[in-house]
Amino acid sequence: MDELEGMHTRRVLEPAAWILQMVSGLLLAALIAIHLYVTHFSTHDALAYENVVERFRDAGFKAIYTLLLLAVTFHAFNGVRAIVLDTDFGAKNRRAVNWLLMLLFVAAFAYGILLMSSV
Amino acid sequence: MKVIFNIRRFDGEKDYWQSFAVPVFRGMTLLEGLFYIKENLDGSLAFRASCRMGVCGSCAVKVNGKPVLACETQISSVNSSKLDIEPIDNFRVIKDLVTDFEGFFRKHEAVKPYLIRNDDNYENPVELIQTPKQMKSYYTFSLCIKCGACYSVCPAAATRSDYLGPAAITAAWRFIADSRDEGKEERYEAVCGDNGVWRCHFAAECSEVCPKKVEPAKAVQKMRIRTALHAIKKVIL
Repeated sequence: MDELEGMHTRRVLEPAAWILQMVSGLLLAALIAIHLYVTHFSTHDALAYENVVERFRDAGFKAIYTLLLLAVTFHAFNGVRAIVLDTDFGAKNRRAVNWLLMLLFVAAFAYGILLMSSV
Repeated sequence: MKVIFNIRRFDGEKDYWQSFAVPVFRGMTLLEGLFYIKENLDGSLAFRASCRMGVCGSCAVKVNGKPVLACETQISSVNSSKLDIEPIDNFRVIKDLVTDFEGFFRKHEAVKPYLIRNDDNYENPVELIQTPKQMKSYYTFSLCIKCGACYSVCPAAATRSDYLGPAAITAAWRFIADSRDEGKEERYEAVCGDNGVWRCHFAAECSEVCPKKVEPAKAVQKMRIRTALHAIKKVIL
Protein backbone atom coordinates (compact mmCIF):
# COMPACT_ATOMS: atom_id res chain seq x y z
CA MET A 1 0.00 0.00 0.00
CA ASP A 2 2.81 2.41 -0.88
CA GLU A 3 0.27 4.55 -2.69
CA LEU A 4 -1.19 5.57 0.68
CA GLU A 5 2.06 7.18 1.73
CA GLY A 6 2.06 10.95 1.68
CA MET A 7 -1.71 11.12 1.94
CA HIS A 8 -1.48 13.24 5.08
CA THR A 9 0.18 16.15 3.33
CA ARG A 10 -2.09 19.14 2.96
CA ARG A 11 -3.10 19.80 -0.61
CA VAL A 12 -4.96 22.82 -1.89
CA LEU A 13 -5.14 21.88 -5.56
CA GLU A 14 -7.93 19.31 -5.23
CA PRO A 15 -10.37 21.35 -3.12
CA ALA A 16 -9.68 24.46 -5.23
CA ALA A 17 -10.23 22.49 -8.45
CA TRP A 18 -13.48 21.04 -7.08
CA ILE A 19 -14.85 24.43 -6.04
CA LEU A 20 -13.80 26.10 -9.31
CA GLN A 21 -15.38 23.25 -11.27
CA MET A 22 -18.71 24.00 -9.60
CA VAL A 23 -18.31 27.77 -10.00
CA SER A 24 -17.37 27.43 -13.68
CA GLY A 25 -20.32 25.04 -14.18
CA LEU A 26 -22.74 27.64 -12.78
CA LEU A 27 -21.09 30.36 -14.88
CA LEU A 28 -21.46 28.17 -17.97
CA ALA A 29 -25.17 27.70 -17.37
CA ALA A 30 -25.71 31.48 -17.19
CA LEU A 31 -23.30 32.49 -19.97
CA ILE A 32 -24.45 29.83 -22.44
CA ALA A 33 -28.02 31.00 -21.86
CA ILE A 34 -26.89 34.56 -22.76
CA HIS A 35 -24.96 33.23 -25.78
CA LEU A 36 -27.98 31.27 -27.05
CA TYR A 37 -30.27 34.23 -26.54
CA VAL A 38 -27.95 36.60 -28.41
CA THR A 39 -27.20 34.26 -31.31
CA HIS A 40 -30.61 32.61 -31.82
CA PHE A 41 -33.39 34.62 -30.21
CA SER A 42 -32.43 38.32 -30.34
CA THR A 43 -32.48 38.84 -34.13
CA HIS A 44 -32.80 36.64 -37.22
CA ASP A 45 -29.36 37.49 -38.63
CA ALA A 46 -27.32 37.52 -35.42
CA LEU A 47 -24.81 35.06 -36.89
CA ALA A 48 -24.09 37.15 -39.99
CA TYR A 49 -20.38 38.02 -40.10
CA GLU A 50 -20.89 41.80 -39.95
CA ASN A 51 -23.16 41.44 -36.92
CA VAL A 52 -20.63 39.24 -35.13
CA VAL A 53 -17.91 41.84 -35.82
CA GLU A 54 -20.25 44.59 -34.66
CA ARG A 55 -20.99 42.80 -31.38
CA PHE A 56 -17.33 42.21 -30.70
CA ARG A 57 -16.71 45.98 -30.81
CA ASP A 58 -18.67 46.23 -27.60
CA ALA A 59 -16.36 45.90 -24.56
CA GLY A 60 -19.10 44.44 -22.34
CA PHE A 61 -19.91 41.75 -24.87
CA LYS A 62 -16.23 40.94 -25.28
CA ALA A 63 -15.88 40.65 -21.51
CA ILE A 64 -18.82 38.22 -21.35
CA TYR A 65 -17.31 36.05 -24.08
CA THR A 66 -13.88 36.13 -22.45
CA LEU A 67 -15.52 34.90 -19.25
CA LEU A 68 -17.39 32.21 -21.21
CA LEU A 69 -14.15 31.11 -22.85
CA LEU A 70 -12.43 30.96 -19.47
CA ALA A 71 -15.27 28.95 -17.92
CA VAL A 72 -15.48 26.53 -20.87
CA THR A 73 -11.76 25.84 -21.11
CA PHE A 74 -11.30 25.47 -17.35
CA HIS A 75 -14.38 23.28 -16.92
CA ALA A 76 -13.42 21.02 -19.83
CA PHE A 77 -9.76 20.48 -18.98
CA ASN A 78 -10.31 20.24 -15.25
CA GLY A 79 -13.03 17.67 -15.97
CA VAL A 80 -10.65 15.63 -18.10
CA ARG A 81 -8.03 15.93 -15.33
CA ALA A 82 -10.52 14.55 -12.79
CA ILE A 83 -11.45 11.66 -15.09
CA VAL A 84 -7.79 10.72 -15.65
CA LEU A 85 -7.08 11.00 -11.91
CA ASP A 86 -9.96 8.60 -11.28
CA THR A 87 -7.77 5.84 -12.67
CA ASP A 88 -4.67 4.08 -11.34
CA PHE A 89 -2.80 5.41 -14.38
CA GLY A 90 -3.71 8.95 -13.35
CA ALA A 91 -2.69 8.29 -9.75
CA LYS A 92 0.73 7.04 -10.85
CA ASN A 93 1.29 10.04 -13.14
CA ARG A 94 -0.50 12.65 -11.05
CA ARG A 95 2.04 15.43 -11.41
CA ALA A 96 2.34 14.99 -15.19
CA VAL A 97 -1.45 14.85 -15.57
CA ASN A 98 -1.91 18.05 -13.55
CA TRP A 99 0.74 19.95 -15.50
CA LEU A 100 -0.31 18.69 -18.90
CA LEU A 101 -3.99 19.53 -18.43
CA MET A 102 -3.14 22.91 -16.93
CA LEU A 103 -0.94 23.71 -19.94
CA LEU A 104 -3.68 22.60 -22.31
CA PHE A 105 -6.17 24.82 -20.46
CA VAL A 106 -3.86 27.85 -20.73
CA ALA A 107 -3.09 27.11 -24.39
CA ALA A 108 -6.78 26.70 -25.31
CA PHE A 109 -7.70 29.89 -23.47
CA ALA A 110 -4.85 31.85 -25.12
CA TYR A 111 -5.85 30.52 -28.55
CA GLY A 112 -9.46 31.57 -27.93
CA ILE A 113 -8.34 35.07 -26.90
CA LEU A 114 -6.20 35.25 -30.04
CA LEU A 115 -9.18 34.35 -32.22
CA MET A 116 -11.42 36.84 -30.43
CA SER A 117 -8.90 39.66 -30.79
CA SER A 118 -8.54 38.96 -34.52
CA VAL A 119 -12.28 39.52 -35.18
CA MET B 1 -37.94 -27.23 -1.28
CA LYS B 2 -34.44 -26.97 -2.69
CA VAL B 3 -32.66 -23.84 -3.83
CA ILE B 4 -29.64 -23.90 -6.12
CA PHE B 5 -26.60 -22.16 -4.67
CA ASN B 6 -24.49 -21.31 -7.72
CA ILE B 7 -21.20 -20.24 -6.19
CA ARG B 8 -18.28 -18.56 -7.92
CA ARG B 9 -15.26 -20.32 -6.54
CA PHE B 10 -11.56 -19.55 -6.68
CA ASP B 11 -8.82 -22.02 -5.80
CA GLY B 12 -5.87 -19.65 -5.97
CA GLU B 13 -5.31 -20.16 -9.68
CA LYS B 14 -8.60 -20.26 -11.53
CA ASP B 15 -12.17 -19.28 -10.80
CA TYR B 16 -15.18 -21.36 -11.76
CA TRP B 17 -18.86 -21.72 -10.92
CA GLN B 18 -20.17 -24.66 -8.92
CA SER B 19 -23.82 -25.43 -8.11
CA PHE B 20 -25.19 -27.03 -4.95
CA ALA B 21 -28.80 -28.01 -4.23
CA VAL B 22 -29.61 -26.85 -0.70
CA PRO B 23 -32.78 -27.90 1.13
CA VAL B 24 -34.20 -24.75 2.66
CA PHE B 25 -36.63 -24.17 5.49
CA ARG B 26 -38.65 -21.13 6.45
CA GLY B 27 -36.44 -18.39 7.88
CA MET B 28 -33.22 -20.06 6.75
CA THR B 29 -30.45 -17.56 6.06
CA LEU B 30 -27.93 -17.52 3.29
CA LEU B 31 -25.18 -18.16 5.81
CA GLU B 32 -26.97 -21.26 7.07
CA GLY B 33 -27.13 -22.42 3.45
CA LEU B 34 -23.39 -21.93 3.07
CA PHE B 35 -22.76 -23.84 6.30
CA TYR B 36 -25.04 -26.63 5.03
CA ILE B 37 -22.87 -26.93 1.90
CA LYS B 38 -19.64 -26.91 3.91
CA GLU B 39 -20.89 -29.53 6.37
CA ASN B 40 -22.73 -31.83 3.95
CA LEU B 41 -21.72 -31.26 0.34
CA ASP B 42 -18.24 -29.78 -0.01
CA GLY B 43 -16.00 -29.14 2.99
CA SER B 44 -13.54 -27.19 0.88
CA LEU B 45 -15.91 -24.26 0.39
CA ALA B 46 -14.38 -21.15 1.98
CA PHE B 47 -16.37 -18.23 3.31
CA ARG B 48 -16.00 -15.82 6.20
CA ALA B 49 -18.47 -15.55 9.09
CA SER B 50 -18.39 -14.81 12.77
CA CYS B 51 -21.24 -13.30 14.79
CA ARG B 52 -24.15 -14.59 12.68
CA MET B 53 -26.27 -11.61 13.67
CA GLY B 54 -25.28 -8.73 11.40
CA VAL B 55 -22.81 -7.10 13.74
CA CYS B 56 -19.30 -8.21 12.82
CA GLY B 57 -19.46 -7.45 9.09
CA SER B 58 -17.52 -10.60 8.10
CA CYS B 59 -19.98 -12.36 5.82
CA ALA B 60 -20.68 -9.83 3.04
CA VAL B 61 -21.12 -11.65 -0.28
CA LYS B 62 -22.70 -10.76 -3.59
CA VAL B 63 -26.01 -12.48 -4.23
CA ASN B 64 -27.62 -12.14 -7.65
CA GLY B 65 -25.45 -9.08 -8.26
CA LYS B 66 -26.10 -7.29 -4.98
CA PRO B 67 -23.86 -7.29 -1.91
CA VAL B 68 -25.61 -8.48 1.25
CA LEU B 69 -24.73 -9.84 4.68
CA ALA B 70 -25.17 -13.61 4.37
CA CYS B 71 -26.17 -13.92 8.04
CA GLU B 72 -29.08 -11.53 7.92
CA THR B 73 -30.41 -12.35 4.46
CA GLN B 74 -33.15 -14.94 4.46
CA ILE B 75 -33.09 -17.15 1.37
CA SER B 76 -36.81 -16.61 0.85
CA SER B 77 -36.30 -12.82 0.72
CA VAL B 78 -34.11 -13.14 -2.39
CA ASN B 79 -37.19 -14.57 -4.12
CA SER B 80 -35.33 -16.83 -6.54
CA SER B 81 -34.86 -20.59 -6.86
CA LYS B 82 -31.29 -20.05 -8.03
CA LEU B 83 -28.82 -17.84 -6.21
CA ASP B 84 -25.64 -16.65 -7.90
CA ILE B 85 -23.26 -16.14 -5.00
CA GLU B 86 -19.95 -14.37 -5.55
CA PRO B 87 -17.25 -12.67 -3.49
CA ILE B 88 -17.81 -8.91 -3.22
CA ASP B 89 -16.21 -6.72 -5.91
CA ASN B 90 -13.25 -4.35 -5.59
CA PHE B 91 -11.45 -6.73 -3.22
CA ARG B 92 -8.78 -9.28 -4.07
CA VAL B 93 -10.21 -12.79 -3.76
CA ILE B 94 -8.19 -15.12 -1.54
CA LYS B 95 -10.34 -18.25 -1.81
CA ASP B 96 -13.93 -18.78 -2.93
CA LEU B 97 -15.97 -16.13 -1.07
CA VAL B 98 -13.12 -14.92 1.14
CA THR B 99 -11.63 -11.57 0.14
CA ASP B 100 -8.59 -9.64 1.29
CA PHE B 101 -9.54 -6.74 3.60
CA GLU B 102 -5.97 -5.61 4.35
CA GLY B 103 -6.09 -2.54 2.07
CA PHE B 104 -9.60 -1.68 3.21
CA PHE B 105 -8.52 -1.56 6.85
CA ARG B 106 -5.33 0.37 6.00
CA LYS B 107 -7.50 3.06 4.47
CA HIS B 108 -9.75 2.99 7.49
CA GLU B 109 -6.74 3.37 9.75
CA ALA B 110 -5.47 6.33 7.67
CA VAL B 111 -8.41 8.55 8.69
CA LYS B 112 -7.74 7.96 12.42
CA PRO B 113 -11.12 6.47 13.34
CA TYR B 114 -10.90 7.12 17.07
CA LEU B 115 -11.62 10.01 19.41
CA ILE B 116 -8.69 12.43 19.55
CA ARG B 117 -8.48 14.67 22.62
CA ASN B 118 -5.86 17.21 23.62
CA ASP B 119 -6.55 16.63 27.29
CA ASP B 120 -6.24 12.85 27.46
CA ASN B 121 -5.69 11.91 31.05
CA TYR B 122 -6.10 8.21 31.71
CA GLU B 123 -5.32 8.53 35.42
CA ASN B 124 -8.13 11.01 36.04
CA PRO B 125 -10.66 10.41 33.29
CA VAL B 126 -13.43 12.96 32.93
CA GLU B 127 -16.88 12.46 31.52
CA LEU B 128 -17.38 14.16 28.16
CA ILE B 129 -20.88 15.60 28.21
CA GLN B 130 -22.87 15.62 25.02
CA THR B 131 -26.44 16.70 24.27
CA PRO B 132 -28.81 14.31 22.44
CA LYS B 133 -28.70 16.68 19.46
CA GLN B 134 -24.90 16.53 19.34
CA MET B 135 -25.01 12.75 19.48
CA LYS B 136 -27.65 12.56 16.77
CA SER B 137 -25.38 14.47 14.36
CA TYR B 138 -23.00 11.49 14.04
CA TYR B 139 -24.92 8.52 15.46
CA THR B 140 -26.07 7.04 12.12
CA PHE B 141 -22.51 7.11 10.79
CA SER B 142 -21.23 5.28 13.86
CA LEU B 143 -23.26 2.19 12.96
CA CYS B 144 -20.82 1.05 10.26
CA ILE B 145 -19.72 -2.56 10.73
CA LYS B 146 -16.94 -2.43 8.09
CA CYS B 147 -18.46 -5.18 5.97
CA GLY B 148 -17.09 -3.61 2.78
CA ALA B 149 -20.44 -3.70 0.91
CA CYS B 150 -20.24 0.05 0.15
CA TYR B 151 -16.66 -0.22 -1.08
CA SER B 152 -17.54 -3.17 -3.31
CA VAL B 153 -20.10 -1.19 -5.33
CA CYS B 154 -18.18 2.09 -5.45
CA PRO B 155 -17.31 3.01 -9.07
CA ALA B 156 -14.46 5.24 -7.89
CA ALA B 157 -12.90 2.40 -5.88
CA ALA B 158 -13.22 0.16 -8.94
CA THR B 159 -11.03 2.39 -11.11
CA ARG B 160 -8.60 3.71 -8.53
CA SER B 161 -7.19 1.25 -6.04
CA ASP B 162 -5.86 3.83 -3.54
CA TYR B 163 -9.17 5.72 -3.27
CA LEU B 164 -10.06 5.85 0.44
CA GLY B 165 -13.59 4.69 -0.26
CA PRO B 166 -16.96 5.38 1.35
CA ALA B 167 -16.39 3.39 4.56
CA ALA B 168 -13.16 5.17 5.53
CA ILE B 169 -14.53 8.61 4.66
CA THR B 170 -17.69 7.87 6.63
CA ALA B 171 -15.52 6.92 9.60
CA ALA B 172 -13.68 10.24 9.25
CA TRP B 173 -16.96 12.14 9.14
CA ARG B 174 -18.30 10.20 12.14
CA PHE B 175 -15.51 11.69 14.27
CA ILE B 176 -15.44 15.12 12.64
CA ALA B 177 -19.15 15.49 13.43
CA ASP B 178 -18.54 14.42 17.02
CA SER B 179 -18.52 17.43 19.38
CA ARG B 180 -16.02 15.70 21.69
CA ASP B 181 -13.37 15.20 19.03
CA GLU B 182 -10.37 17.49 18.66
CA GLY B 183 -8.60 15.79 15.76
CA LYS B 184 -10.46 17.40 12.89
CA GLU B 185 -7.36 18.97 11.35
CA GLU B 186 -5.62 15.60 10.99
CA ARG B 187 -8.66 14.03 9.39
CA TYR B 188 -9.20 16.86 6.93
CA GLU B 189 -5.67 16.33 5.74
CA ALA B 190 -6.17 12.58 5.47
CA VAL B 191 -9.18 12.92 3.17
CA CYS B 192 -8.02 16.03 1.29
CA GLY B 193 -5.50 14.31 -0.98
CA ASP B 194 -6.32 13.39 -4.56
CA ASN B 195 -7.17 9.84 -3.38
CA GLY B 196 -9.69 11.28 -0.93
CA VAL B 197 -13.17 12.79 -1.11
CA TRP B 198 -12.61 14.39 -4.54
CA ARG B 199 -12.77 11.04 -6.32
CA CYS B 200 -16.40 10.37 -5.32
CA HIS B 201 -18.83 10.53 -8.27
CA PHE B 202 -21.85 10.57 -5.99
CA ALA B 203 -23.31 7.45 -7.59
CA ALA B 204 -24.73 6.86 -4.08
CA GLU B 205 -24.78 3.10 -4.60
CA CYS B 206 -22.89 2.79 -1.29
CA SER B 207 -25.93 4.09 0.59
CA GLU B 208 -28.19 1.86 -1.47
CA VAL B 209 -26.46 -1.39 -0.44
CA CYS B 210 -25.39 -0.57 3.13
CA PRO B 211 -26.94 -3.27 5.37
CA LYS B 212 -26.91 -0.88 8.34
CA LYS B 213 -28.39 2.12 6.47
CA VAL B 214 -25.38 4.22 7.40
CA GLU B 215 -25.69 6.49 4.32
CA PRO B 216 -22.00 6.68 3.37
CA ALA B 217 -22.85 8.83 0.30
CA LYS B 218 -24.27 11.51 2.59
CA ALA B 219 -21.18 11.36 4.81
CA VAL B 220 -18.85 11.70 1.81
CA GLN B 221 -20.71 14.77 0.52
CA LYS B 222 -20.67 16.39 3.95
CA MET B 223 -17.01 15.57 4.31
CA ARG B 224 -16.25 17.01 0.88
CA ILE B 225 -17.96 20.34 1.56
CA ARG B 226 -16.36 20.64 4.99
CA THR B 227 -12.90 19.74 3.62
CA ALA B 228 -13.22 22.31 0.81
CA LEU B 229 -14.25 25.04 3.27
CA HIS B 230 -11.41 24.06 5.55
CA ALA B 231 -8.91 24.29 2.68
CA ILE B 232 -10.20 27.75 1.69
CA LYS B 233 -9.99 28.92 5.28
CA LYS B 234 -6.42 27.65 5.45
CA VAL B 235 -5.44 29.65 2.39
CA ILE B 236 -7.17 32.87 3.45
CA LEU B 237 -6.21 32.89 7.13
